[in-house]
Amino acid sequence: MAELNLIGAVNLALRRAMSEDERVIVFGEDVGTSGGVFRATEGLLEAFGPDRVLDTPLAETLIGGLAVGVAAQGFRPVAEIQFMGFVYPALDQMVNHASRLRNRTRGRLSCPMVLRAPFGGGVHAPEHHSESTEAIFAHLPGLRVVIPSTPADAYGLLLSAIRDPDPVVFLEPKRLYRMSTEQVEDDGAGVPLDRCTIRRAGGDLTLVSWGASMVEALAAAEMLAEEGATVEVIDVCTLKPLDRATILESVSRTGRLVIVHEAALTAGFGSEIAASVAEAGLFDLRAPVRRVTGWDTVVPLPRLESHYLPDLTRVLTACREVLTYD
Amino acid sequence: MTDGAGDATFCLPDLGEGLSEAEIVQWHVAPGDRVVADQPLVTVETDKAVVDIPSPRSGVVDACLGEPGDVIEVGQPLLQFAVEAKRPDAGAVVGALPSAASATPSRVAVPAAVSAAESGVRASPRARQRARELSVSLEAVAGTGPEGVIQVSDVESAAAGAGGGERLGGVRRAMARRMTDAHARVVRATVTGEADVSRWSGTGSPMPRLLRALGAAVAAVPRLNAWFDDRAEMLALQSRVNVGIAMETADGLFVPVLEDVAGRTLESLTSELTHLQDAVARRSIRPDQLKGQTISLSNFGAVAGLHAEMVVVPPQVAIVGSGRVFERVVLADGKPTAAQILPLSISFDHRVVTGVEASTFLMALTTDLENDQ
Amino acid sequence: MSAAAGFDISHTAYLGPDGKLLRPLPDALAASETLEAFYRRMVLTRTFDAKAIALQRTGRLGTYASSLGQEAVSVGIAHAMTPDDVLLPSFREHGLQIQRGVKPEEILLFWGGDERGSAFSDQPDDFPVCVTVGGHAPQAAGVALAFKLRSEPRAAVCVFGDGASSKGDVYEAMNVAGVWQLPVLFIVTNNQWAISTPRNKQTAAETLAQKAVGAGIRGEQVDGNDVVAVAEVVGAALARARAGEPSLVECLTYRLGDHTTVDDASRYRDDAEVSGWWQKDPIARLRLYLAENSGWDKVKQEALLGECASQIEAAAESYLATPPAPPEAIFDHLYAELPEPIAAQRAALLEGNSDG
Repeated sequence: MAELNLIGAVNLALRRAMSEDERVIVFGEDVGTSGGVFRATEGLLEAFGPDRVLDTPLAETLIGGLAVGVAAQGFRPVAEIQFMGFVYPALDQMVNHASRLRNRTRGRLSCPMVLRAPFGGGVHAPEHHSESTEAIFAHLPGLRVVIPSTPADAYGLLLSAIRDPDPVVFLEPKRLYRMSTEQVEDDGAGVPLDRCTIRRAGGDLTLVSWGASMVEALAAAEMLAEEGATVEVIDVCTLKPLDRATILESVSRTGRLVIVHEAALTAGFGSEIAASVAEAGLFDLRAPVRRVTGWDTVVPLPRLESHYLPDLTRVLTACREVLTYD
Repeated sequence: MTDGAGDATFCLPDLGEGLSEAEIVQWHVAPGDRVVADQPLVTVETDKAVVDIPSPRSGVVDACLGEPGDVIEVGQPLLQFAVEAKRPDAGAVVGALPSAASATPSRVAVPAAVSAAESGVRASPRARQRARELSVSLEAVAGTGPEGVIQVSDVESAAAGAGGGERLGGVRRAMARRMTDAHARVVRATVTGEADVSRWSGTGSPMPRLLRALGAAVAAVPRLNAWFDDRAEMLALQSRVNVGIAMETADGLFVPVLEDVAGRTLESLTSELTHLQDAVARRSIRPDQLKGQTISLSNFGAVAGLHAEMVVVPPQVAIVGSGRVFERVVLADGKPTAAQILPLSISFDHRVVTGVEASTFLMALTTDLENDQ
Repeated sequence: MSAAAGFDISHTAYLGPDGKLLRPLPDALAASETLEAFYRRMVLTRTFDAKAIALQRTGRLGTYASSLGQEAVSVGIAHAMTPDDVLLPSFREHGLQIQRGVKPEEILLFWGGDERGSAFSDQPDDFPVCVTVGGHAPQAAGVALAFKLRSEPRAAVCVFGDGASSKGDVYEAMNVAGVWQLPVLFIVTNNQWAISTPRNKQTAAETLAQKAVGAGIRGEQVDGNDVVAVAEVVGAALARARAGEPSLVECLTYRLGDHTTVDDASRYRDDAEVSGWWQKDPIARLRLYLAENSGWDKVKQEALLGECASQIEAAAESYLATPPAPPEAIFDHLYAELPEPIAAQRAALLEGNSDG
C-alpha cells in the first residue's frame, strides 16, 4: 500500500496494467524519456522498454489513428494527449473511427484503446490548457468517458478502462493531480465502470459532480451539514454511459438536485443529467434543478479564471436556494 | 466542354475486313449516362473478333437500340443520343436529397393556440403529485414557497384543513375510505324499536345477550345475515353468524369478528368477547380477526344515545345498534310501574332487504332479549 | 552555397497505351498465365463496377463511387500483397478488395447501405472502406506498428487518392512511418481529380510521390494504367516495407467515371481530356498485347465476358436477396456489451415496432 496522489495513482495503474498484459503499450508526446509532462508515465520506459513506451512525433491526429490501428490488431494502447486543449485533431479519429470500428464491421474489428488527457482549469495555465469539453466525447455513441476524482479511483478506473474491450476517453482533472494523497493498494482491482459513486450520504439534497469540482461539492456538503441540511454528494465517475439509476434514486429521496461542473453551461454534461431527471424523476422534484457551471465564455486566462470556475460560494448559494423549497 | 453537337443517331460503323454485321454482346452504357468520345459503348462480336465500339462524340445516351444477342448490320442504328447534351443536375455528390414543391412560407407567424389547460398554478412536481394523491385541488392551495410556489407542505396543510390538523393514517384513514365507499353504494334504511329488559338479572354489558339474540334473529330472518355482491347482483346467505363488533380505541375504530354466535352459551360469548376486547386494547388483534363479518353490532349505548342510523359496510346488509338502557314509567295492568328499556336500531341495505324483513328481524331480536333473564 | 538535400522521383512503365512494350517485361511477371490473370481480374473489376452503377441507376443501390479506369492499380496491388498483409483502402478500391477476399456481394451490401458489407466473412484483418479522406493513414501506421512490435513479416498497405495527399493525416502517418521505420506502404492513386478539383489545383508539388521526401521516406511514380508496372513497383516496395523501410508509390491513372453516381463530372471536366484517357485504357492495352503475343482470341474473350457476367450477376442476386437486418441491429456491436441505459432504448425501439 502506498500513499499516492492522483498522478502517482495513474502511474501505478499503468505499471500494473503493463506488467499484467503485454498487449498494453503507452505512447504520446514526451511520455517516454521525459516520463510525461506531468510525470504520469514516469519510469515506464525504463521498466518496460522502447517497444512498450513510445515517444511520438508532435501529431495528435496521428496519436489517435495509431491507437485505432494498433488496437484493431489486438494491442491495448493507452495513448496520451498532452492537454485536452490539443485533443481536437484526434477527435476525428475518435468520432469517425474509434467509436465506430466495432459497429461498422459488425464486431469483426474492435478498438480497445484508452485516450488519456489532463483536463480542466484552476492551475494558472496559459491559453488552451484549461479545457473542459468532456461533453463533446460524452455525446458520441460507442465511447466511454471516465473521470476520476480521487487517487484510488484514478488507479481503479484506469485499470478498468484499460481492460475494457471498447474505447475509453479517460480525463484526469489536473487541478487534483497533486492536491491530496490517499492510500492506494496495488492489488490490481478495477473500479467498475458505468457506475456513479455516492461519496457522502444525505437526505435533503442531491449534489452531483465529477472531476475537480468534487472538491467544492464536498466542501459545500460539509458546510451545509452545520446548517442542518444533509447533502448527498454523487461523483459521476463514468459520464458515458451514465448511471442514471443512482442519481434518480437519490433524487427520489431528497427531491432536490444541484449539478456542478467546470465546463460551460450550455450543452454541458449537466444538461444530460437534468434532462434524465426531468424524464424519469419529475414528480420527485421539490425544487428546480440547478446547474453551477463555468459561464458560456471562453475560459479566461489566469488573472480572471477564479471568476469563471464554479467556486464554493456559488455552489453554496445554489444549494441554499434549492433548500428553501420543501 | 463541348456542346455535344453531332448526329443524334449512332449507327454501327464499318468494322473493316469485309465484315457486314455484328452481334451485341454487352452494353457498357445505359440511357441517361453521359459519355465522351472514344468511350466504349458496347462490346460486339463479329466473325473475327470481339471488339468494343467507341463513342463518336460526347453526349447523353437516350436509348440503346438492341439487346445482347441481337445482330446489327453495319450502318444500322445502334444507339440514340439525347438532343439535350447534359444530364439534369442532381445538385449533390452523395445521397438522394428529397425535394418538393413550394411549401408555406416559413417565416410567417403562427398564431398561438388557445390552451385549454388550467391557468398558471405554480407548484413543484412533488407537490402536484401529493395533491393528486390527496385529492386536493391546487387552485384552492396557497403557496408559501419561493415566489409563492406551492410546496408539498402547503398541499398537506390544505388536505388537513387550515391551521394544521391531523393527517389521517392507518386505522382512521382506513375507516374514512371504508365509510366513503359504503355511503356511495348502500341504500340505507333504518327501523328502530325497544326491548323491555326489566327482567334481566345482574348488571353489566348487554353485549353477550345481544350476541345471542342476534343468532336467534338471524334464524328467524336469515336474509339479514348475507353478503351482497352489488356488481354481480348476487345475494349470498351466510350459514354462520360472524358478528363484527365495533370497538373504539385511541387509534380509531376496530371491528373484530366474533365467529359463529348461533347456539353458543352466554358464558362462551362473554369469554370470547373479552378476549377480543383485550386483543384490540393491546393491538395484538390479527388481520384475519378483522375480516369476514356477516352482520355487525354497535353498542354505542355504552356511552350514550338511544337510536341511530348506522353505516352498513358492504358486503354486509345489516347492522344492529343498541342504545343506552334507561328507566321509564310504563303501565302494567293499568298501574304505573318502572321498566328498563333497551333502545334498538337496525340499519339495513334496502337494495336487498325489505322493511318487513327488517321489522321481523327486530321483533325476533326484541323477543329474545325480553325473554331472557 | 551548397545543396543541403536533393531528391529523385523515378517513373516506371512497361506497357504502353497501344499495347506495345516500352521495355522488356520483368521476369517475374512475363509469363502469359500471369498476364492473362491480370487481364481477367481487371475485366472482372470493370464488370462489377458496371453492375454496381446499373443497380444504382435502377434504385437498388445507394450512392456508389465508380472505379472505372483504375482497374490496373487494384489488380497490380493485389498481386503484390500477401494474405498476411493488411489493406486499408479508400472508397474506390473495389477490385483490390475483391482480390483480397471480400465478396462482391459484401461490397454491394456496403454501398447498398448495410453495415454487414464490412463484416468481411473471408477477410479478417483488412479495414473497411475509409470515407474520411486520409483518415486511415495514421491507422495504417498503427497496424504497421503492431507488426513491428510483434516482429511479424507483414506490411500494412494504405491506399488513398490525390485529394487525400493534401491531408495532414497522410503526412503525419508517413512521417512517423519514416522515423519509426514502420512496415507500411502508402499508395496514392492519382486519378487526377478530387471531385471537381483537378490535380494541378491540389498542390504545387510537381509529383505526389515527392510528398514522401518531406517525411523522409522514398517516393516513386508508376504508370497506374500499366498493371505490370504497378505489380512490379508495388511488389518491390512491399518487400522493402516488410523490412522496415516504408515508402510512397504514386500510381498515375484517371477517374474515367464521375466522383459518385450522384455527381456529373461533365459539369467541371473537359470531354476532350476524358476522351484522351480512354485512349490509355488499362484493359484495352493489355488485351492488345495479349492478342498480339499470347494468342488471346475471340473465344477466350467471349468466355471471359461470360464468366465475369455470371459471377457478378450471381453476386448481385445474392445482394438483392439479402433482406435488411432487423431494426434492433442498430444496437448490435455498439459496445462489446450493450450498457443498460442503451439497452432500454433498444427495448423502446422494439416496442414501437411491435405496435406496428
